[in-house]
Amino acid sequence: MKDILRVEDLIVDYVTRRGVARAVDRVSLTVGENRTLGLAGESGCGKSTLGRAIMRLVPYPGKIVDGRVFLDLDEDIPYENGVLKKGEVEITALDEEALRAVRGKEIAYIFQDPMTSLNPMLRIGDHFVQILQAHNPEMEKDEALERGKEVLESLGILPERIGDYPHQFSGGMRQRVMIGLSLVMRPRLLIADEPTTSLDVIVEAQILEEMAQLKEKFNLTMILITHNLGVLAQTADDIAVMYTGRICEVATTETLFEDPQHPYTQALLESVPDVTKPDKKLSWIPGAPPDLVEPLPGCMFHPRCPKAMDICKKKVPKLVQSNNGGVVACHLYGGA
Amino acid sequence: MASLVNGVFYQLGSAKQSISEHSRKWCAVLLVLVAFTLALVATLVGLALRSYKGFGVVVVSGTFVTAGTVFLARVIASLWQKAKTLVRQGPIPFALLCGIAAIVAMLPISLVINRSEGLAMWSVIAGGGLVLSGMILLLIDGYPVFKQYKSPGYMVLGGVMIVLALVYMTWIAYWIVPYDPFEIEMGHPNTPPCAEFPMGTTSLGQDMLSRVIAGGATMLQVAVLSVIVCFCIGVPIGLLASYRGGAVDKVVSLVMDSIFAFPGLVLAIAIAAMLGPGVVNMAISIAVVYVPSYFRVVRSQVLTIRELAYVEAAIIMGARDRDILLRYVLPNVLPSSVVVMSINFADAILTAAGLTFVGLGLPVDIADWGWDLTYGFDVITLGYWWVPTFPGIMVVLLALGFTLTGEGLNEILTPKLQE
Repeated sequence: MKDILRVEDLIVDYVTRRGVARAVDRVSLTVGENRTLGLAGESGCGKSTLGRAIMRLVPYPGKIVDGRVFLDLDEDIPYENGVLKKGEVEITALDEEALRAVRGKEIAYIFQDPMTSLNPMLRIGDHFVQILQAHNPEMEKDEALERGKEVLESLGILPERIGDYPHQFSGGMRQRVMIGLSLVMRPRLLIADEPTTSLDVIVEAQILEEMAQLKEKFNLTMILITHNLGVLAQTADDIAVMYTGRICEVATTETLFEDPQHPYTQALLESVPDVTKPDKKLSWIPGAPPDLVEPLPGCMFHPRCPKAMDICKKKVPKLVQSNNGGVVACHLYGGA
Repeated sequence: MASLVNGVFYQLGSAKQSISEHSRKWCAVLLVLVAFTLALVATLVGLALRSYKGFGVVVVSGTFVTAGTVFLARVIASLWQKAKTLVRQGPIPFALLCGIAAIVAMLPISLVINRSEGLAMWSVIAGGGLVLSGMILLLIDGYPVFKQYKSPGYMVLGGVMIVLALVYMTWIAYWIVPYDPFEIEMGHPNTPPCAEFPMGTTSLGQDMLSRVIAGGATMLQVAVLSVIVCFCIGVPIGLLASYRGGAVDKVVSLVMDSIFAFPGLVLAIAIAAMLGPGVVNMAISIAVVYVPSYFRVVRSQVLTIRELAYVEAAIIMGARDRDILLRYVLPNVLPSSVVVMSINFADAILTAAGLTFVGLGLPVDIADWGWDLTYGFDVITLGYWWVPTFPGIMVVLLALGFTLTGEGLNEILTPKLQE
């Protein structure tokens, strides 16, 4: 299986007044073609920052300090200063113009809040014209609108509504429009940053279902960032669990839910309410994540970990192959 | 009078009625205001029968003939199929062409009637006629368009009508005034309104009515010119400096803040004193004073907008900086700058009046609402209420016209507010 995206030892720092917070700490992962990778973890664990860093769009005052990101291209992409050759390109080494050609064309991104991610002054059609013309300046406006209508129709929105303004759409419809906008350039990789968090559960289910269909139709590879393990169980092929900027465990969805290895993953799965066991008391993970400006030595989870050992306080565990086929970073399984 | 005005605002202010009732009353007040202005202008123009030039009736009827031709041509064009094919672009260009033909036809007539100043008179007829035709076309063709927008549309229409009516009056003023507005000792100084001087006279014995009719020219020119200059400097600087941020932004902000911190009128006086008197110089000095207000508004908006998700979404989709500025940031900044613009019109008018007062505007004998208004404040304690009142009404109407237009445009230009 071909890898579409390869991240190597990526480090992202936020330089704040109090000090440097390492939001993404030496993360390495790969995403195979047509797979959906779920990035899970609690708030502030660096999953969104990782998603942004893949597109080199870390919000200020964040900075990619080290590491490399590779993307596989299936065709040559011409841009203003040259051509990006087919095959693997290093995103972290591209100049601004080349980066602009890759953004939107090869990697698309969907935001959490559809209410604010559309320009209130532009009609829906103008959004399509904007993005299509940004990558293909010769394209006529009418042709761009036709492409937009096709995409809207495949998302279950009446093509006539292309002339409407964003405020005339509901939240779910807007998220569909956003998905349409990100897919109109036929990207290879789609990064969805909590795409359904601000929607109600019924619309959430619909959108997830549609995204799964679109993934088939457009031959997409996806990274789905969410804190909702239920969403991941439904849509992801593989899941990477993050804690304080580090990857704890990566496994296929089934394995992760059946046989979680890392104590954090186990605790996380314990804290999901189960409708089949109404009498069971909901458990939670005691304590809070550490302050990233003053990181703990060793494994950052050790103060909250029920199975913590002495070595956990001293040494950062490495990712090692676990017995269920995934990888895990925990001293219980070696990795010292 | 005062209780009537209070009554109107009391009716407006009480929120006890249902919304439709409320907005109906609001519309009625707008209608009354527009009708009042039009009637006022019509009355003033009607006084042209007594014009000291002797050609008042000719000029007024000339403009009316032009406007009438345009109106007829417009009606015919929509009824008569052949006229539609005659001019492919539609009925409006056809009507305007007919109006221009009428104006051209009037050239020899006006040269015959007025041997000494025929050409000057004809150009005034042409200009006034076109303004009137514009008002008529706006009513016929603009009304259905503005009607869709409900009350903001009516506001724009009303505001534009008020401004155009005043422009029309000012344009033909020179030919219709009953006395020479600059000449002193036309009657006894400080004569209260009477049959001979319907608005009284100033303390120099100038005829107030003539000065009210002719006094808008400076105001309009200075206000329009300075606001255009301001807008064209303030908005682009605000956009470019604050979108990128960094050192440029800091320097520009510092300069703008120091201008802002200066008392406006004092700065305008200093600049006007440097440049010397004159309409253009007044406009420039006023423009310098008001550039920071655009800059500040645009900057604060840009700082908010560039952090918004849709700008980030545009970057993520690979949009160019240029497109982001022009298609994403600028349209969202424009409505608030248009509002600043409508407020600025009123400010510019008052600053222009101040400049005239200290002698840096135009010569004192020139007819100018600002001058009469400023001067009138001093003599109102002597009981000469007519000196500031009539120019005051005109200034208020002009400012009202601009404000209505600005506020209405603001709502029309922001799709979200249409709800």
